[in-house]
Amino acid sequence: MSVAAIHPGAVDHHDHIHPEPTTFIGKYIFSLDAKVIGIQYMITGLLFFIISGLLAEVVRIQLLRPEGGFVSNDTYNGVYSLHASGMIWMTIIPLMTGGFGNFVMPLMIGARDVAFPWLNLLSFWIFPPAGVILFSSFLVGAPDAGWTEYPPISVQGPPGTSLWCIAIFLIGISSTMTGLNFMVTIMKMRAPGMTFTRMPLFVWAQLATALLNMVATVALSAALGALFIERTFGVPFYDPGRGGSPLLWQHMFWFYSHPAVYIMILPAFGFVSEIFPTFARKPIFGYKMIAFSSIAIALLGFMVWAHHMFTSGMAPWLQLPFMILTMIIAVPTGIKIFSWLATLWGGMIEFHPAMLFALGFIVVFTFGGITGIFLSAVPVDLHLHGTYFIPAHIHYVLFGGSIFGIFAAVYYWWPKITGRLMNAQLGVWHFWLTFVSFNVTFLPMHWLGILGMPRRVAQYRPEFQFWNDVASIGSFVLAASTLLLLYNMANSLIRGKKSPPNPWNARTLEWQISSPPPYYNFKTIPAVLKNPYDFGEPLPYIGLDPSDKEDHHHPPTPPAATHAPGHA
Amino acid sequence: MSPLIRNLEGVSLAQVTAPRTQGLGPGFWPVTIVMSIINVIVAAFIIWWFPIERWLPEAAAPAPDIDALFKFMSVFGNAIFVYVVGYLVYFSIVWRRRATDPPDAIGIQIHDHHKLEMWWTIVPSILVIAIAIFSVRIWMNLQNQIGDVLTMEAIGHQFKFEFRYPRLKTSVYDDMHIPVDTPVTLHVTSGDVIHSFWVPEVRLKADMVPGLIQTLRFTPLKVGTYRIICTEFCGVNHGNMYATLHIDSQQDFGHWLSAQVKAEGRGGGPLALNTGQAAAGQQLFGQKCSSCHSIGPFEQKIVGPGLGKLLSDPTHPNLVTGEKPNAVDISHVLVNGYQGPDNSQGKNAPAIGVMPNRQANALSNQDIANLVAYLTSLSQSK
Repeated sequence: MSVAAIHPGAVDHHDHIHPEPTTFIGKYIFSLDAKVIGIQYMITGLLFFIISGLLAEVVRIQLLRPEGGFVSNDTYNGVYSLHASGMIWMTIIPLMTGGFGNFVMPLMIGARDVAFPWLNLLSFWIFPPAGVILFSSFLVGAPDAGWTEYPPISVQGPPGTSLWCIAIFLIGISSTMTGLNFMVTIMKMRAPGMTFTRMPLFVWAQLATALLNMVATVALSAALGALFIERTFGVPFYDPGRGGSPLLWQHMFWFYSHPAVYIMILPAFGFVSEIFPTFARKPIFGYKMIAFSSIAIALLGFMVWAHHMFTSGMAPWLQLPFMILTMIIAVPTGIKIFSWLATLWGGMIEFHPAMLFALGFIVVFTFGGITGIFLSAVPVDLHLHGTYFIPAHIHYVLFGGSIFGIFAAVYYWWPKITGRLMNAQLGVWHFWLTFVSFNVTFLPMHWLGILGMPRRVAQYRPEFQFWNDVASIGSFVLAASTLLLLYNMANSLIRGKKSPPNPWNARTLEWQISSPPPYYNFKTIPAVLKNPYDFGEPLPYIGLDPSDKEDHHHPPTPPAATHAPGHA
Repeated sequence: MSPLIRNLEGVSLAQVTAPRTQGLGPGFWPVTIVMSIINVIVAAFIIWWFPIERWLPEAAAPAPDIDALFKFMSVFGNAIFVYVVGYLVYFSIVWRRRATDPPDAIGIQIHDHHKLEMWWTIVPSILVIAIAIFSVRIWMNLQNQIGDVLTMEAIGHQFKFEFRYPRLKTSVYDDMHIPVDTPVTLHVTSGDVIHSFWVPEVRLKADMVPGLIQTLRFTPLKVGTYRIICTEFCGVNHGNMYATLHIDSQQDFGHWLSAQVKAEGRGGGPLALNTGQAAAGQQLFGQKCSSCHSIGPFEQKIVGPGLGKLLSDPTHPNLVTGEKPNAVDISHVLVNGYQGPDNSQGKNAPAIGVMPNRQANALSNQDIANLVAYLTSLSQSK
């Protein structure tokens, strides 16, 4: 019996296979294939990651000496503003949703593509121009007021601030469209039998992220539009001297940017939830709690934005609900961390670089989460807000969280994406160098902040020099350690060993077809019987074409009349 | 769901290989005990041996409250971190794949444990409630701080702090004096962009938002000098925007205040613009003005416009104030500073950056006369 016969309604739409484009442009440039678009996102994101990372090194060179002097104050302000904007909007968000979301998610749910391939194409092609516009603002005077661009100073800021508005507005539209696309894809295009509780946890994470992208990003777009109009046409939305309100921006900005931190961390939770079972050879512990806590975090994430504004000026009593709701987020986050720990217990743990980065993620993210609770308490935040404690905290959650997650995902899915293996030994070196230098770089920033060093400064008091130098040296090693990853990737592409379809013996659907997967993903859409984490049991899929694993250079034969249920 | 799928789900599957060990695994309880001991020791460090006030004195009244909350959170935050990382490392070592394990060996196949999950939801929830209650209590203390014995204002400017006292007619810059043991109410706001007022030793901070007045209440406890730091990005010199908080004894504060009052009485006097020396003005311009103004044409801006053709620019016939460019009106700008629209070409132009007044720039009458002479000479020589 064919799969289609088992589940007629669900399969019919996806059962026919479009012919693969034959031209170079159709195949690699304006491809409709989510996998190609995912790779395009990854390459573009990697490029912006390198640029933004180099900007961070300029910051750390400037801060080697209390009087600065490596670059002018104006340049320095532009450098750190574009470092943060580039990392957040042009690197982490596009890599996590656009990159890994596009490549992995449709494969994981047994779909041939995302729901709206043309929309996907448009989403991607907005991204490179947005990045180019963002970084070209250096040519006309880069935005200088940090990635938060608080008015009124951003209203008076250099001309590049308007380019910043345009770039972030564009990438926001791209995110919104991707969010919509993924939401529909996950809701409507799962393989037959893949109920919500059988979805891989990465798909759950993408679902929660898509919700945030769809709902929150519009607030940012509105705020950016108003800032652009104020700068260009002088309509005073934000300038208090002419009747505007500077706090209006802060509310709109954080209504997006707080959910945005979950846009940047939920996919990393998804990476870890896939990598832990595979390398511990165990079912993920507490599947449902991990899945639901992603949704809980996403929903709570909408109700806490003003915890960024405790010192900004708001009705004092209003601080209380934001403080308490923020603290509550610690509970679902804790559930996740404990569940991952319990997944390790009784495992058969293999220390592949992907697993090491996932383990490192838990360590640094837990630390960043705990300092987050400090900041959620109004009285403590009154001391710490605006100090170096904040960069320390955000780098523990955004570098230690998101970027460690991305590194783990790179090592994990690299063979699937490229069809080649990476050098695992080099990956282990990369991990340890990154882990140590990361902590050397960002740990001292905590006490620098507590003891009185404000953030976003081009000069600082001489008494803080020692720990700034330690942080700077750490950051140089951190940059060098990233070269190991880049070398490993290049080396693997040029002379890496060919990867089998499933090098880690993983159980999610993307590993059940050849590496790299063919254009059409699955010859026949499989039916799903269980969630994918039960090691020691047969694979919970029926209807997978055994030849899916072997050859993808020929278009599939028309679906056979019968497929034996079983696992390849 | 089709019968086929349901049937397959019911198939009994291969028995899982037996776990390596019984119970919670080798060394679980000793490791737990070691971590607990570490936590107790660290707690002692945080609370007794090296508390935060050893590094950062508590100079004013809410600081001890805030530190108490900070220590409470540090103790529990540290405990959570040590347990998470400790178990992570310990599990990784004990449950690692060994060379002797067969390649198809798998871990213990458990999916969940409801009791355990219940506990790790309940315990963190209780902890969060405890932290929330403690935080709200400290927050109430902050709201109930008394002030009002001395009420004063602090105003942020690019890149200076201005302080206003009820007994003084003119503002004080860079140095804020307050008497010890006297409840202070400090209203903060800004004259241009958003700044922030922070004294680490007081543990309090409020953003200085233009058009908005925020209030801080605290009672100085320890005589000394402390840093006032701007912690909200405010422009090119944000990193150098500091002032000094002097917590004086009652007596010293009285001396300081009466000296200020006297100085005000003596200050002022007529401006004699005809005594200006262009050469002295040129030197002063280099020290006080050139970080914001070039001596090129109007369009050659740094922060403010270029001043080289102040009297002879047909495209900008007026000063930014809208007044005619003559010596007296130029001196008005130097005395009062300027903030508002650029009126040099007519009315309703967009706002131009903020220029500090003579107090902020520390300009004496002679300084002003010299600067006016210099600026006038610039236009005449071209």
